[in-house]
Amino acid sequence: MKQKSYPLRPTGGEIRDLAQPGYYSGFSTLAQKKKWDETTRQVVTERVEKVPPLRFFSSGEAELLTAIVSRVIPQDDRAADRMIPVHPAIDERLFKNELNGFRYEDMPPDREAYRLGLKAIDEMAQKRFHEPFVSLTVHRQELILKSLHDGKPDPAHRIWQRMPVHRFWTLLAEDCVTAYYSHPWAWDEIGFGGPAYPRGYMRLENGLPEPWEVDEQRYDWNAPVDSLSELDEQGAPPEQVLPQAHGSSS
Amino acid sequence: MSMLNHHGHRLGSMQTLPAPMRKYADRETVDYCIVGAGSAGGVLAQRLARAGFRIVALEAGPFWDTEKDWVSDERGSHELYWNDLRITGGKDPLALGANNSGKGVGGGSVHWAAFAPRFHPSDFRVYSEDSVGADWPISYWDLKPYYELLEQEIPVAGPAWFPWGDPHGYPYGPHPLGGVGDVLVRGCAKLGLRSVAGGPVAILSASHGDRPHCIYRGFCIQGCKVGAKASTLITHVPDAIDHGAEIRALSMAARISLHDDGRVDGVLYIDRDGNEHFQRARAVIVSGYAIETPRLLLNSACSGHRHGLANSSGTLGQYLMAQAGNVVAGRFDELIRLYKAPPAHALSEEFYETDKRRDFARGFAIQTVGPLPAAFAKQMMNAMGAWGWGLRRVMMDMNHWATIGVLGEILPWEDNRVELAEEKDQYGLRVAKVTFNLHDNDKKLIEFGKKRVMEVMWAAGAEQVVQESRYAHLVGAARMGSDPATSVVDKFGRTHDIPNLFVCDGSILPTQGSANPGLTIQALAARTADYLIKQGDAIFFSNRRDQCEPGIRYDLSPPYTNFKGNPRVA
Amino acid sequence: MSFALTTALEQNAERALPKPIGIATTSILEHIRHGCFQRSLCLIVSATSVASGLEVGYEHYKGSYSNPIMYTPVLLSGALAGSSLLGVFSRWGAQVLLRCVSAATLADGVIGFFFHVRGVARKPGGWSLPVTNIVMGPPIFAPLLFGTSAYLGWMASYLRREEELHSVGAKVQEITSTLPGSSDWRRDLRHGRFQKHLSAITILWAFFSGFEALYSHYKSNFRYKAQWTPVLLTPLLMAAAAGAIKSPRIANTALPAVSALALADGAAGFYYHARGIAKRPGGLKKPLYNILYGPPIFAPLLFAACGFLGLLASLLRREREK
Ligand SMILES: Cc1cc2nc3c(=O)[nH]c(=O)nc-3n(C[C@H](O)[C@H](O)[C@H](O)COP(=O)(O)OP(=O)(O)OC[C@H]3O[C@@H](n4cnc5c(N)ncnc54)[C@H](O)[C@@H]3O)c2cc1C
Ligand code: SF4
Repeated sequence: MKQKSYPLRPTGGEIRDLAQPGYYSGFSTLAQKKKWDETTRQVVTERVEKVPPLRFFSSGEAELLTAIVSRVIPQDDRAADRMIPVHPAIDERLFKNELNGFRYEDMPPDREAYRLGLKAIDEMAQKRFHEPFVSLTVHRQELILKSLHDGKPDPAHRIWQRMPVHRFWTLLAEDCVTAYYSHPWAWDEIGFGGPAYPRGYMRLENGLPEPWEVDEQRYDWNAPVDSLSELDEQGAPPEQVLPQAHGSSS
Repeated sequence: MSMLNHHGHRLGSMQTLPAPMRKYADRETVDYCIVGAGSAGGVLAQRLARAGFRIVALEAGPFWDTEKDWVSDERGSHELYWNDLRITGGKDPLALGANNSGKGVGGGSVHWAAFAPRFHPSDFRVYSEDSVGADWPISYWDLKPYYELLEQEIPVAGPAWFPWGDPHGYPYGPHPLGGVGDVLVRGCAKLGLRSVAGGPVAILSASHGDRPHCIYRGFCIQGCKVGAKASTLITHVPDAIDHGAEIRALSMAARISLHDDGRVDGVLYIDRDGNEHFQRARAVIVSGYAIETPRLLLNSACSGHRHGLANSSGTLGQYLMAQAGNVVAGRFDELIRLYKAPPAHALSEEFYETDKRRDFARGFAIQTVGPLPAAFAKQMMNAMGAWGWGLRRVMMDMNHWATIGVLGEILPWEDNRVELAEEKDQYGLRVAKVTFNLHDNDKKLIEFGKKRVMEVMWAAGAEQVVQESRYAHLVGAARMGSDPATSVVDKFGRTHDIPNLFVCDGSILPTQGSANPGLTIQALAARTADYLIKQGDAIFFSNRRDQCEPGIRYDLSPPYTNFKGNPRVA
Repeated sequence: MSFALTTALEQNAERALPKPIGIATTSILEHIRHGCFQRSLCLIVSATSVASGLEVGYEHYKGSYSNPIMYTPVLLSGALAGSSLLGVFSRWGAQVLLRCVSAATLADGVIGFFFHVRGVARKPGGWSLPVTNIVMGPPIFAPLLFGTSAYLGWMASYLRREEELHSVGAKVQEITSTLPGSSDWRRDLRHGRFQKHLSAITILWAFFSGFEALYSHYKSNFRYKAQWTPVLLTPLLMAAAAGAIKSPRIANTALPAVSALALADGAAGFYYHARGIAKRPGGLKKPLYNILYGPPIFAPLLFAACGFLGLLASLLRREREK
């Protein structure tokens, strides 16, 4: 996976190659491996050590998917050898045709949905910026993806009449976060304890760390502040703005 | 040390599967063939086997060895769910799969969070009291002794005094609170709402026979490798096997066969290699979950039953219900670490009943939820529209968030239903299509419920509160009732149309209140079993329909049921 | 004997305190020194068994009485409280009934210890995860701690009653008891000559309750600095009590000093634990649950009791040399 530098960074400062982003410096779930049960150890270790080969997507599609995935769950702050494989996990799921147990009636099967979605995204890039998606600047890539996220594809594309854009977005984004947040390096980043059997937890309240966990050490994490995918202050999208009644009761 | 017993098929950290299991040949006629060894199927098999019947339970999924097959990992637990294709639609389509049903011995009880509250007495009289929904053909008081018995069998840990519905206490002591439970209790207390801490939940707060105490690892929904959380795989199936039942795993029932005399005579099923078999049985009980049960009956259509077996009323598949399961997430200044402790450990039922001052009928419960990272990330995507760097940023704060769920009653509506889609699955069987629409009452209830829960979150001291809509717990779709024109089964689960065909699982619920359905499903199964045992051979050789209450049998419980647990206050 | 605590106290009491109080103090000290405090000790045993009965009652409620044997300590501590209370009023109660009940309770404590060890072993990971499983398993030394209060009752059963201090028969006995070769532990107990014996009990008690403090404070990550105090005091108290067995000097100096600290620490701990319970989510609106899962309310009292034992030991006479 090639690391892509972030072109627009007026206020965000240099993005550092972090072995471990997040506020739990020194915390490693993998270091606890010996305390896990055998089956779990195998499954998690394999996830880290054996990245599945690409078998479903063609190399062109894979390159496009990689570019998309790198914006949906960006990892530019991660050191090159600490990147979490996301698109191989998606490729593997589609190759094995692993279903999640259902399909929306207005959606094509997952495999087809991905092929259609990739095609639409690339054609949108061509139409709007006259370049393939993979060659666009990060900002332009984000413009296109954000329009999908917002459910208002810009430019419009006929595929989104056949396949609801919000469903495709959810499919894609959920696959991305599943791959990312089931990786032990992501657990280290967010301070999640990881597998916990046979050793469970003893400090359940007040956010106390287990003896082998690490306390939070906050600092200014240097995500690019001008990225289109940064949340605004309160985070909630407009339609979910909260009732003003902060703390009031009925 | 028993823990280090590496031999044999493990069920939790100490228990092993009794070996060997009795095996019936296909040509042998058994007494009961049960389709699905899940929450209901497991209890049925255990009771009927203890009473001496010849039992085969067909289970589509595997017979789990908890030590080899399960992991303490979110993504690695994908196989616990029913992942085969289903189509979902309607105006408010339900996400199925991981969110709904299990596959494998234990069924949904393998991955349930194990919240085990009872229904309220009012749940059985919704139509009489509120002129919406339906009445049950039985009352709370018919089921109460079974609630008490199951609470003792699986067993349920909870407060000494549960103040709502029919107030009662629990046999096992409450659990310690985790960070999320603290938030729920603190928020409720600030608003003057009562809450209960540490249960009711079917998780061990003390060892129980060869099952250990919970270790608070929070992987309940991934299947409890410890064996602390109750699932019929470890509570009832071992005893069923001990008493001669056969649990035939990796056997997918394809259709139920109807004989010329209008009675069923067995089940056609497909084994792991795709071969077809026919299991002869004197009676069949379908316990396949609220989607697979109607699907199997619909797929078993034959002459005389062109619209599916036992569907003369046309209601088979209809009145499917889910519960509103909105998740409210609050960010706190201090750390919470929501991944610790079982997801299910505190709740409030202050808003459970109909309140005439509100503009909708029925109510909701407030419960803790405990998503692990991938699930939490998805919730943040939905609740905040987070993606990209924004998502990375909120996720880095995961340990500052607490999540509390609404569990709201959605009424049974005719247009919410299970049908057959055109598509077929890997066995060549038509898959289920689920249609779901919210109605006016449901929408008002959800709106009200999520506001109340957000207030609890604010009151607990959150500095940011967001929410995500979702649904949980599918039931209905083969409902019970006294009128054969508007229901599929009678009050014991016997289909109105076919005297030796029964349905016993969540599909028979006419309404579902705001309590998680698992305990009620198991209590109903125990009651149906008592009925079948009382009827004895009459089920096999006569078409007579006896509607007398069987009386509860206390001598059919699995081991370790008696002389355990705190004295009950009520 | 270079320094005798009781002598010093008596002198001071006579000099510094108002007369009636001074007399009362010297009389108390004298009763203690001569082992004539059966009724008082019975009263104390009765109080500690009520406390430990309540503690084991709710701890086992948490453990859901999943084994019927878990009822035995609850019933026995009721019996112990009852019989020691009876012992305050009746000599028979103190000497016969209390002795039997104490012995039974002591045995129950040992059996309980076995079950608790087994409980830890049966947790996932068993003894290969000693820290987690000791912290999360059944409190391993609690049954022995419970047994120590029974042991106190058993000792009480051998003491003399308060009114026997100046009786003639007692005087005679006292003299015969000093004859060489007539030494016997029962006699020693009767005459308040069990300083070493009680110091030894103090060591054990300190160990059991200090260990509980260690792992339960470790469980909450020593969030408050004060949580270190019982953990640090325990070895000091154990050392002082051990020293007291060897040297009368330590028994009269270090032992009472450290014991007094432990007593005070226990009292402070009781306050903090009570405050901790009140500050839990729901606070006093959920009294039962918060007592159940808040800081254990009786634990600091048991630690304080251990300081009390040390103090008592320092006021006793030493055993006769053989
Ligand atoms: C994440 C999650 C959390 C939950 N938490 C709770 C909770 O806290 N409390 C609660 O009460 N409930 C909870 N539930 C719901 C609960 O799990 C279900 O309501 C309950 O298990 C349903 O029981 P059942 O007997 O109807 O079906 P199941 O338990 O699902 O059993 C059906 C079984 O039948 C088998 N089967 C189906 N079709 C066939 C066929 N054709 N041939 C052979 N076998 C077949 C299936 O493989 C399955 O094993 C939760 C559910 C989920 C998904
Ligand atoms: S939290 Fe308890 S019940 Fe849940 S999986 Fe862990 S040990 Fe099992």
